[in-house]
Amino acid sequence: MANLLWLQGGACSGNTMSFLNAEQPSVCDLVTDFGINIVWHPSLGMELGEELQRRLRALISGEMPLDILVFEGTVIRAPNGTGEWNRFAGRPMKDWVSELAAAARYTVAIGDCATWGGIPAVPPNPTDSIGLQFLKRNHGGYLGAEYRSRAGWPVINIPGCPAHPDWITQILVAIATGRAAEVELDDLQRPKTFFSVFVQNGCTRNLHFAYKVSATEFGQRKGCLYYDLGCRGPMTHAPCNKILWNRQSSKTRAGLPCNGCTEPEFPHMDLAPGTVFKTQTLMGIPRVLPTGVDKVSYVKLMAIAKSAAPRWIEDDIFNP
Amino acid sequence: MTSLTLDISPVGRVEGDLDVRVEIADGVVVNAWTQAALFRGFEVILRGKDPQAGLVITPRACGICGASHLKCASWALDTAWQTEVPRNAVLTRNLGQITESLQSIARHHYGLFMIDYTNRKYAKSRFYEEAVKRWAPYTGRNYELGISMSGRAVEIYALFGGQWPHSSFMVPGGVACAPSLTDVTRAWSILENIRRTWIEPVWLGCSIERYEEIRSHADFMAWLAEKPEHADSDLGLFWRMSEEIGLGTYGRGHGRYFSWGYLPHEDKYNKPTIDGRAAAVIMKGGIYDGDADAHRAMEQALIREDTGRAWYDEPGGLHPYDRTTTPSQRTESDFDGKYSWSTAVWHAEAGRLEAGPLARQLIAGGSHGESWQYTHPLVLDMYRRMGGASVMLRQFARMHEVVALYREAERCLRELRLKDLWYIKPRERDGRGWGATEAIRGALCHWIDIEDGKIRNYQIVAPTTWNVGPRTDKGERGPIEEALVGAPIADARDPVEVGHVCRSYDSCLVCTVHAHDARTGEELARFRTA
Repeated sequence: MANLLWLQGGACSGNTMSFLNAEQPSVCDLVTDFGINIVWHPSLGMELGEELQRRLRALISGEMPLDILVFEGTVIRAPNGTGEWNRFAGRPMKDWVSELAAAARYTVAIGDCATWGGIPAVPPNPTDSIGLQFLKRNHGGYLGAEYRSRAGWPVINIPGCPAHPDWITQILVAIATGRAAEVELDDLQRPKTFFSVFVQNGCTRNLHFAYKVSATEFGQRKGCLYYDLGCRGPMTHAPCNKILWNRQSSKTRAGLPCNGCTEPEFPHMDLAPGTVFKTQTLMGIPRVLPTGVDKVSYVKLMAIAKSAAPRWIEDDIFNP
Repeated sequence: MTSLTLDISPVGRVEGDLDVRVEIADGVVVNAWTQAALFRGFEVILRGKDPQAGLVITPRACGICGASHLKCASWALDTAWQTEVPRNAVLTRNLGQITESLQSIARHHYGLFMIDYTNRKYAKSRFYEEAVKRWAPYTGRNYELGISMSGRAVEIYALFGGQWPHSSFMVPGGVACAPSLTDVTRAWSILENIRRTWIEPVWLGCSIERYEEIRSHADFMAWLAEKPEHADSDLGLFWRMSEEIGLGTYGRGHGRYFSWGYLPHEDKYNKPTIDGRAAAVIMKGGIYDGDADAHRAMEQALIREDTGRAWYDEPGGLHPYDRTTTPSQRTESDFDGKYSWSTAVWHAEAGRLEAGPLARQLIAGGSHGESWQYTHPLVLDMYRRMGGASVMLRQFARMHEVVALYREAERCLRELRLKDLWYIKPRERDGRGWGATEAIRGALCHWIDIEDGKIRNYQIVAPTTWNVGPRTDKGERGPIEEALVGAPIADARDPVEVGHVCRSYDSCLVCTVHAHDARTGEELARFRTA
């Protein structure tokens, strides 16, 4: 039996909504089959007021063990570092977070807001929002770089806007079934089991990438979205084309460029004018190249790719 | 001071916390204040950004209504950029809206609303035992089915938009996708599965065709009595138990309603303009004044926002185009002064208006609008015969929408022409735009003002802004504040009735109710609702 507490700061509830889409295990299965005792979740039917505050204090004091603290949303510090713009159960949410994180055996940040700051932290960051252990790529965040949970772990980051339900449930199951030691984290504290592959792995447009056939505008069945439409699939770590969304598809399969939402810079270039759905180029070469590829190699690769392209690659292989 | 906490199950905390303060005297709510307690500043973030930034940012304003925000954001750009939107794209956007709404109906109904019917307060009801079997959290038979169905509905969304929540697949000029036959046939199969496993056997207890024969209050009562399957369906049991526990007798509100209308017709809104929208939507918009029993048109130009009681330093009575979204640094709760992050939205001629499924259905019953637009007389007939709005009728209106949404989803799939266009690349330009839709919980719209190739101003007025807004500068209560007044409270230390009223609006804020004694000010109870 593992006690789980899920709180939301500056959040849209998108990760909760994503979590509710889960199957195998579903949210109901987590409770009934895996012995995860959801002490409280803002959408799943528990108390507030005195009784919740009593529970929160019991978790902080250790009277009730806090096995997993899940946080969704940013930590809001405005105005002037008081956190008053996000009050919860009678005080600023940030104060609850400090005390609960100190008591938790594992602390899990779910979604971009809790991991890196996400949308609320886009300049001018009106709510002075920050992630639990990062702000964008800067290590530290609200809890500080030195933070370790009682089991000796830094914050486990499950990014994404939102995170895929399977990424959430599988990590919770791993912890609840005593396999946490097998969860390896990368340098951004993301579980490697999900975040070592690229979004491009498994994309149905891979052949079009390989032979440099571009989808020059939306509404096309064929063509790679990287060259013109700003797709970040080749440099974004996430298994979106390996573990499909809603058991059906993914953004790139549906013709929508990957917006790189599992990386700390999301939304990239802070959505400055001219950057949305447009590949940024310099002398015709994308400014951001596939991870690990240098410019000279890229130019050579593209020349070869184009000359090697088979004739059928220009056909609509995804017939209506 | 003692305070009791009730075990009331919430769902859909989407924009932060809502606190509701009610004063109770002699067993009746005599005054109420609704307080939105979280500010995230999306309008501030959008300023100066790429004109298309709203397609990425605004769906993330709300995890449960993201497709509705996306729809507003894309139509707002379409009107500003004067795009042409192909019919396939109009249909696909509509399908996205519909599937998100079906998701939301199931999630709200089972995850939030029906759980209250298993409250021990109703243990004496003859329906109680069955209610617990079906609707208890996690373990109830239909609770689990409902959560599962809510996820299934958005599988259809993912086939066209890649994922739900938080896709950006609706773009000015059309949609990003170009589906093929398998996407459409798979969507059909999922839709059919939802009908065969949930809508017909569980929700209605009859075929969709039989339910569609119901056009009046009398028809509905005859349907209810016709077969045990009808009476024992989730809809039938909801109706009978709601009536027994008195939910038809309070939660009335101002009695004035509005809808932007939604689902643009695929052949009538291909060159979208702000002024042309009302006559181009399948589900018509408008205003319904319950006291006068009269319908009229609704115009975005007449929207006003007051901030005298909200934590913004701006003058009152502004149209959203003229707002600056300037948060106050001082945010103490002063119920005689400023007490909410929500503004008070009102209509320059009609005053405060309620948004939501009840509003939509009362407007669907009117004879105004275009002759080809969808009309349905049932809920308006019930409203007239049952003496106005109530908790029960508000929730019924939402349940009633399942069948029409299902039919519209079918129609979208049938009308898609796979070899036609999905997108026509627009020319970017400066200008003003406006996009609207009906999220399941009510009227949503976005205003955009683009200058020098970037966003000069972006404003969102959500259904929750309408319904949970605080008092206007002149002191008129917001819709939920008004609906709470007069609610009878059987046990002042366990005022579940207040929860029913708040939840019937499905506000997209987690709602915490604080109940106070009107004379002494003592806090009697505090509990969560949504």
